[in-house]
Amino acid sequence: MKRLAFGLMLLASIAARASGQGSTAEVLAQAHDFYEQLEVERALPLLRQVVSPSWPFEVTADQRVEAYTYLGACLAFLGKTDSAVVYFRAALERDPFTDPDPGQFTPAQRELFGRARRLTFAVAARRVAATRIDPRTEPLTLVIVTTHAATLRVAIRPVDAPGAVILLDGASDGLRELNWNGLLSDGRLAPPGRYEVLVAGRSRLLPRADSARVYFDLRHDPPPLADTLPELVAADLLPERLPESAAAGDLAKGLAVGAGAFFISGVLANRELGGSMAAGPAVIAGTAAVAGATAFLRLRRRPDVPANVAANARRRAERADSNAAIERRNAARLAATALIISPAAGIGP
Amino acid sequence: MRAGALVLALALTAHPSMAQRGFSGSLLLSLTEHRTDAGFGLERSSGLVFGAVAGRWLGPQVEVALHVAGGSLDASTPGAVDRDLGEIGLTTTVGAMPWLALRARAARRVYSTPIARQAWTLVGVEAEARVAFTEQHTRALARLGLLPVASASGMPRPDFAFTAAAGLEQAVGAITLRALYSLERYDFPTRDGAPRREQLSVLTLQARLAAGRQR
Repeated sequence: MKRLAFGLMLLASIAARASGQGSTAEVLAQAHDFYEQLEVERALPLLRQVVSPSWPFEVTADQRVEAYTYLGACLAFLGKTDSAVVYFRAALERDPFTDPDPGQFTPAQRELFGRARRLTFAVAARRVAATRIDPRTEPLTLVIVTTHAATLRVAIRPVDAPGAVILLDGASDGLRELNWNGLLSDGRLAPPGRYEVLVAGRSRLLPRADSARVYFDLRHDPPPLADTLPELVAADLLPERLPESAAAGDLAKGLAVGAGAFFISGVLANRELGGSMAAGPAVIAGTAAVAGATAFLRLRRRPDVPANVAANARRRAERADSNAAIERRNAARLAATALIISPAAGIGP
Repeated sequence: MRAGALVLALALTAHPSMAQRGFSGSLLLSLTEHRTDAGFGLERSSGLVFGAVAGRWLGPQVEVALHVAGGSLDASTPGAVDRDLGEIGLTTTVGAMPWLALRARAARRVYSTPIARQAWTLVGVEAEARVAFTEQHTRALARLGLLPVASASGMPRPDFAFTAAAGLEQAVGAITLRALYSLERYDFPTRDGAPRREQLSVLTLQARLAAGRQR
């Protein structure tokens, strides 16, 4: 029986926790209604329950900030200004972006909230929203805030590489929008990767400092790029030096012509007519031998092929020109690269 | 005459488009030696023959050329007589491969002596190999051909006739210089118990200028 009772209690506890956020929201809504009807005495206990450590239901950060803000407002309405400031500060410490709506809060309440701002120092950066921007025409807008006047430094940097871009380094007070053009400090388009927005501030009213970080992922959405021409390989180039066999080959050709002339004269000519003229094959053989020997010596001494060297130089220059043109076209396309931004949780995936 | 028409027809059918045309002209100087033995002993005569060739390209690989030559051959053996030599002919050359040309030729050759005049009709086919040296300006030449139609007035047709040549050509700018040693051999059937043999060997120096097409 005891076990059954314990099980029922456990189930009830789990069910209550599962519906906790809804319960917190309902209580806050109820408290808000009381506040609107100026029934602050009835709103206060509800709000105190929500911020109490013993509150059994889950409370989100925003709900907690809302509860503190309305607690401060209720106490301000009752004239308990010091307590009101304490709760306003609690709200500011949790969310420096907190700003009482003038339509719902009286000037007196807002004045107390301002006092809380002066007594509290906190900085924050709003989470970067998912977006796609063309860095040529539109910046990425970042929103940062300080609770009061401060010296602020805001930087964007890749989490795993140097190259921070300082967006602000100077005085700031309250909410501020900063634009980033997508370029790093070297003037190049920010490469894909994870980035950190670091907000570091030092109060000008209090001896306090604070910092905040938000992260986002950046991807490129470039148009398709053309590949540059591959490096010229041996098959693409003409031989710039002749093989050693070329000289011997030319000599052999000259000697073959001479041998052919003597073959015609000595073998093909009619022996019964006494052969052929002697001068003809001798002149041809001599000329051919000289031509072959000359070619042999020239090629042995200078095996370079100037025409091929020049042709290869032309091919290399043409390839370099083509690649330069491709790189120019690619650079123009890359300049049109869009940046795809999405929020991230931290420095790692 | 019919042989010349045949060579011309071969040229025209070899490349009917005639799209690419050019001209060439050559001057020739030949040291020519004629040997014959009609059963009365060797008769040898030699001398310089001058000639000219005019060619026209009918296509990228087809050239038709008309050649004329003439000169005097002086007798250099007892019993031989001086003679004049004149020749006109038509040649069609087809480039079969970069290193090989096929040629058909028809020629009319006349030997004139103080006592007689003999006309030859020659029709033959030849293959000429042209192997370039490494630097391309110089080419080795070798030629072998048959003369299936060879007739001389007053004589039977030879049993066997062929031609062979070897030489070099060198390009010097637009001019191509050629040195060629060639041999024509004719073996006639035995007649009246005596065989007749004729042979013409020539050392030719040729300068050729081509326009409209380099070759």
